[in-house]
Amino acid sequence: MLKIKVTQTLPNPLQINIECASGELHALVGPSGSGKTSVLRTIAGLSTPATGNIECGNQIWFEAKDLRGTTKSLSPAERSCGFLFQQYALFPHLTALQNVCIPLQNSGLELSKRNAIAQEWLNRMGIAELAQRIPYQLSGGQQQRVALARALVKKPNVLLLDEPFSAIDAPTRQSLYKILAELRNDLNIPILLVTHDLREADLLADRITVIDHGVGLQTATPQVLFQKPRNSRVAELVGINNMFEGVFTAGKLTWNNSAHIFDVLDKGKIPPSTPVAWVIPSDGLSLHANQAAGRIQAKVQQISALGQIAVIQLLTCDGEHLISWEASAAEVKRLELAVGKNTYIELDGSKIHIMPLRPINDPRRFIS
Amino acid sequence: MDMDAIFLSLKLALWTLVLILPFGVWVAHSLQKLDKSKSWIEASLALPLVLPPTVLGYYLLVGLSGKSFFGFPLVFSFTGILIASLIVNLPFAIQPIQRAFEAINPEIIEAAQVSGLSKWQIFRLIELPLAWRGITSAAVLTFAHTLGEFGVVLMVGGAIPGETKTVSIAIYDKVQSFDNSGAGTLSLLLLGISLIAITLSYGVFGQNPSRRKRWGT
Repeated sequence: MLKIKVTQTLPNPLQINIECASGELHALVGPSGSGKTSVLRTIAGLSTPATGNIECGNQIWFEAKDLRGTTKSLSPAERSCGFLFQQYALFPHLTALQNVCIPLQNSGLELSKRNAIAQEWLNRMGIAELAQRIPYQLSGGQQQRVALARALVKKPNVLLLDEPFSAIDAPTRQSLYKILAELRNDLNIPILLVTHDLREADLLADRITVIDHGVGLQTATPQVLFQKPRNSRVAELVGINNMFEGVFTAGKLTWNNSAHIFDVLDKGKIPPSTPVAWVIPSDGLSLHANQAAGRIQAKVQQISALGQIAVIQLLTCDGEHLISWEASAAEVKRLELAVGKNTYIELDGSKIHIMPLRPINDPRRFIS
Repeated sequence: MDMDAIFLSLKLALWTLVLILPFGVWVAHSLQKLDKSKSWIEASLALPLVLPPTVLGYYLLVGLSGKSFFGFPLVFSFTGILIASLIVNLPFAIQPIQRAFEAINPEIIEAAQVSGLSKWQIFRLIELPLAWRGITSAAVLTFAHTLGEFGVVLMVGGAIPGETKTVSIAIYDKVQSFDNSGAGTLSLLLLGISLIAITLSYGVFGQNPSRRKRWGT
């Protein structure tokens, strides 16, 4: 189990509280410059936060209770982290085999034994025949496999992956997903993956932490994150299109600038007449050709066909709200949707998720 | 041909090289870690590039004329011109190595730290091989520059045959005594050695191991 709870304000703000169990793949997601890589660097010991603690298993890697000073901070060499850098950071003057051998330098093993272990890892990565090539003679995907072998050869206690799939082509990415899945089962160590690709995080991770301006906003499974974002900023960052504002009173949600009122689940936590943000996932929306009670009339503004999927933009008849709806090409055909045509939307109140709404300049806006 | 002068110049260049290179590597590596005082130290080390040789020579002449650590004045001795040569060559030895260290991607050093290497291992196994091109450039520049150094060596050492009369001073002496043929031969020799040294710097030693021919993808 890896536990990180760190805080700092300079040089860049960081306020993170993450736990990652052995065998768990935990994704850190956020926009560029949000502090995702800083979290990995802090764990690896490449940067030191002001306060907090980092524990791996029973070992304390970092501890600083207050700003008066660090009580304990292990060096990167003492932390047993496998770190896969975004640009691989292979040693350019060494062969692939020598690169993988480097972490075994202080293992006390003979050179022949070290070479054999390194070669074994290259075999496992499917690049055994490239052992004698230097990084410049390898493609991006091959370099990444060497870097991954180097990160793992010392059997680290934690694996840290910094945007590992951002600079490689789609087929290579698929094969690396497979390698990562296999490694996950075999290694049984905490794995932290930094990515800005939500689809990738959804595909690979057990849990996701959304980070913005160095602050961990929410940690949840992908399913919970996409359906029940903690606040409007998380919803925005995870790319939820259908996010609106309203007023909530005892199980009734009044849509702002609209006459529509929805029945939603009341957990008794929100006081009456509270302004809220609300989201609805795609499966909570349905389109119909005919009017019926509770349906909202809307006009098709735009249809963007993306292969077998189409994204339809609908403008409510009051002209106030734009709703995005994803459907199959067959569904679009069945409903005879066309730009400018009227249609009727039904919202499933049980799928509506309500979140606190705070002004953008409110320092508490991320805390719900 | 003035063989004494040739051997003396080669001896001076080799001793300068042997003493200044390890120092140059150490200073260049240490400069990377400095922050506030870096520009002052860099400026001081670069001074010999801009100071007239006579000015530098004058200060050294004054500085070395007293009784030295060795018990005798260092002016007009081989040790004196060696010290002068070391000071004059500081920028030639340090700057190329410093640039080479600075060119190493910091992520590579971090990867070495995370891989568990000690500071000494990182220096020996990663930084030194990656700075190899800068170190060879520094060596060649220092060697060639020492062979051709004239002003400072003349000020500090005079022109004592076999002790302080280097090739450059011998050429000057021959021109003064209208021995144009002797001066021409020595000049040609210096030209040849300098050309070979620079060619080696750009060619054989200069090849970056990480930029060998790519084998395709």
